[in-house]
Amino acid sequence: MIQHREPTPIGRVVATELKPATPHQFHFWTANETTIGIGAIVKVEGPRVGDQGPGRIVFGVVTDGFAYSDLATPLHDVVGAEGDPAKAAESPTVRQEIRLWTAAVLRQHPEEPLQPVPLGAVYVASDADVAQALRMDAYVAGAQPTGIPVGLYTAAGLEAPVYLDADFLLGPEAAHLNISGVSGLATKTSAVEFLLASIFQHFPAHKGRIAALCFNVKGPDLCFLDRPGPLDDADRRRYERLGLTPQPFARVRYYAPCKADGVNLNTLRTHPDLVGDVEPLVWGLAEVLDFAEVLLNRDDIDAKADAFIDFLSDRVLNKEFDDGFGGSHRVQSFADLDGLFRAIFDGLELSGRSDMWRTHHIATIRKVRNRLSNISTRCKGLVTDDGPSNDLPWGRFEDRTVYVVDVANVDPLGQDLVFARAVSKLREHLERRDLGVEAVVVFVDELNKYAPGDGPETYVRKMLLDISERGRYLGLVLFGAEQFRSQVHRRVVGNAGTTLFGRMDADELATPGYHVLSPAIKIKLATLPIGELMLRHPHFTQPIFVRFPRPAVLRGRDGVERFPPSADLPFEEAVVRQLVRLDRRIRPNQVKDLIAERRPDDVRRALAAVRRTRPDDALACFRRMLGVRVAPAAAPAREAVPPLNPISEEPY
Amino acid sequence: MAGSWVDAILAAGAVPASYVPDASAGRTDLEEFTGADLVEDAELRTRSVADARPLSPGAVGFLDGIEQWRVVGYGGVTPIVRGYVAAAVRRRGPDRRLRTGSELSRELAVTRLASLAAPVRRALETCGVDVVEFAAEDAGQPARAIQAARRELERARLALERALAERCLAGLGPDEWLVVDGVLSDSVALSAHPRAVGVIKSHGAQYFEGAELERALTLPAGHRTSVFEPRSRGARRAIYSWYLRFWPWEGNDLLYGLVRVEARAHPDTLARASALSAWLERERSPLSTPDARWDRLLYPIHDVETYLRSRAPRDLLSPPGSRLPRTGS
Ligand SMILES: Nc1ncnc2c1ncn2[C@@H]1O[C@H](COP(=O)(O)OP(=O)(O)OP(=O)(O)O)[C@@H](O)[C@H]1O
Ligand SMILES: [Mg+2]
Repeated sequence: MIQHREPTPIGRVVATELKPATPHQFHFWTANETTIGIGAIVKVEGPRVGDQGPGRIVFGVVTDGFAYSDLATPLHDVVGAEGDPAKAAESPTVRQEIRLWTAAVLRQHPEEPLQPVPLGAVYVASDADVAQALRMDAYVAGAQPTGIPVGLYTAAGLEAPVYLDADFLLGPEAAHLNISGVSGLATKTSAVEFLLASIFQHFPAHKGRIAALCFNVKGPDLCFLDRPGPLDDADRRRYERLGLTPQPFARVRYYAPCKADGVNLNTLRTHPDLVGDVEPLVWGLAEVLDFAEVLLNRDDIDAKADAFIDFLSDRVLNKEFDDGFGGSHRVQSFADLDGLFRAIFDGLELSGRSDMWRTHHIATIRKVRNRLSNISTRCKGLVTDDGPSNDLPWGRFEDRTVYVVDVANVDPLGQDLVFARAVSKLREHLERRDLGVEAVVVFVDELNKYAPGDGPETYVRKMLLDISERGRYLGLVLFGAEQFRSQVHRRVVGNAGTTLFGRMDADELATPGYHVLSPAIKIKLATLPIGELMLRHPHFTQPIFVRFPRPAVLRGRDGVERFPPSADLPFEEAVVRQLVRLDRRIRPNQVKDLIAERRPDDVRRALAAVRRTRPDDALACFRRMLGVRVAPAAAPAREAVPPLNPISEEPY
Repeated sequence: MAGSWVDAILAAGAVPASYVPDASAGRTDLEEFTGADLVEDAELRTRSVADARPLSPGAVGFLDGIEQWRVVGYGGVTPIVRGYVAAAVRRRGPDRRLRTGSELSRELAVTRLASLAAPVRRALETCGVDVVEFAAEDAGQPARAIQAARRELERARLALERALAERCLAGLGPDEWLVVDGVLSDSVALSAHPRAVGVIKSHGAQYFEGAELERALTLPAGHRTSVFEPRSRGARRAIYSWYLRFWPWEGNDLLYGLVRVEARAHPDTLARASALSAWLERERSPLSTPDARWDRLLYPIHDVETYLRSRAPRDLLSPPGSRLPRTGS
């Protein structure tokens, strides 16, 4: 028979007038050799009161530690050793010394009346104690559990799973996650990858379907999420302990804009074995005009430019339009639009009339034209001058699918445009409940670049603020990562219900945002080993340290070694490659013969049309399309995107 | 039962009191000239211990005791004192850390029963506390009575220490020594044991005069005197002794850093007096500060005292507050 042994206390709460126990903090001592350390969770059992059963129980997390001996002043150690440090170690007796710890209260039982921590015995917390201390008992068990494993609490020889509450990570109670820490050691990207996998496996059924939209902003970071990465036994054990299956993402859709040549993809996932499932992301004038605001920096956002852009989208785009100088235009592409602009300028000049055209000043028109032509040159490959677009599958998002949009190599202006359009579309569809899933996690790395604390107001920052503040009701959840939290807009980080910290930079820890952390916690953060994180979550009254396993996917860096990106193909080869992808029967020479002597623009246009129609006989279709000028897809009636709330001027 | 007898005597009519008289505790040496016979040299010499190889026992026990007391009541003008005595041996092994080996403690009431009113006396006799009486001639004057009570308490402490020392000696390992804070010569067992050492910090007794006294009291640091045998007085056993100086006294006081060592009266002691001295000198470190007697107090003895004080009844400590008249509850 197994003897059930009473646990032995590892410490005692002590309180003095100068260091009293309070309802939120206490001090205890342990033996000099102890398993306790900063971040360990302990349990205090107060003395029994009469025969009223067990006394007060308090859970706490160790936030600081002190060691000292009965040495009255350092000088006395010098005197005792006669000034010779080597001799100090020869003293026949070791002085009395203490290991004194400070702990912050996580939870008290009973919770009312709230009282100082009793001066009782201190025990190492067990698995069950950890669950109670972190109030996980309320959401991990029960009829509709909402626990999402985030990592293992490992201290004092114990390894206990820690769960986040889906209602507080992904809405509606609270939402959003922010992770910060230094490059390479903080494991920010890895932690998000791991957590997404955990969410996909544990998102509670009653909350419906969920997908993730990840912007790849750094090299090959997120390019191999569907490929397994190496895991060691320790990581496998951690997965098992967390109730997770270590496997790469089963459904990943990659999107990347083209390069300037319009046929090669602007991504590092171009290895022949993998490039097949990368969809080109191509937008035309209509898509861009919707978000033209993005293109104008703050100083530019004047009402006049805005009004002119609105005029273009409402009255000109896809309509028969009379320029007032006798010309008629049907504007469907950048090229068409430029035709209109030229007609306007020529018309005004010829007629020697005023500087006004239809209530719009010529300067405003020039400015808007500059911005628009700017984007079609700077983001060539994302924005087609002409021809059909290829976008994310709005309205057809699938459950447990990761949509990776690779903008790592895109001009910052283009990145802004991609963010703005993708997120606004998500918001619009989630509001109408027709996205295809009930919730979407949007992962934005390098948040300090897109939602900086200072600098001019940009559309992207405004939008990220908007998700942060209103997204949780919609199921639009922002996972953001950055090196320096202090450089990100306060309302973006402030609205993240869950916060993770990896290894932190000491200078960053010295900024005012961290003054609530004890010096010991700061030191721990500054030296945190790879794979460990400090975690704040609404249910936990204090930060908790957890260790998470390596994500089960191929690291970006390893991915590009295993699947080296292929060099850009010559135009013809690239066209062949794309067509063969659509129809394996096609032979390269057939295509080359067809496109010889044709204008690249016409080839691109035809290719895009084939891609869009996905015909049974791709080559025949391609031949047909080459023959005619392909019009852009008839734009559907423009759906009004609800305006973002104006940026509030309130100081925060 | 700690202190519950106090309630009983108060209920029986004793007037409550709470008073800790100023008194110096500590084992006192004799306070007069007694003389000594030299056993090592023809006349008292000083010897350096610098070259001696220090004894290094595998384990050492350190023994000390404490006494705490408080006047808790008066029957008429006769004080009733609550006393607490305790002694412990803390043992040091190869890991250089001190751990409690064994300890004894005792709570007692000190008074003169015959001077108390019958109900108070009966209460004291029936409540189970050890009662120790001081002499009838000391009972009349409260000041004398309190001094007498203190002496009784000291006697009780010495007895406790002796009992503990003897018990400890019985179990002493072959490579284990016992260092006692105070004299060995009042115990048969201690004074005869080959591995017991007494370290005496107070120097009431004078064993020398004239030039020899001067040589003893101006002993340089790191030196010892010749071994001598104090002339026995009363119940004291034969013992060998010598002075040893831990720290230079110049600039301080004659007695600064000066201890007297006692060990068995035996030729072996003579042979290893320097080795023993060198060992004790090493025990200067770590310093036993903040104790005011740190120049003579060995750290392990200080540690035993700290240990005992931390375990003494809380209500016997001097009240931190003032002695303003009591109000309310
Ligand atoms: N759980 C883990 N255990 C051990 N090593 C890990 C773990 N997670 C990630 N790593 C390793 O840590 C390294 C850094 O990870 P990652 O790229 O996620 O950091 P990062 O904080 O996103 O860095 P950067 O700021 O440069 O983007 C990688 O080499 C990865 O393999
Ligand atoms: Mg990263």
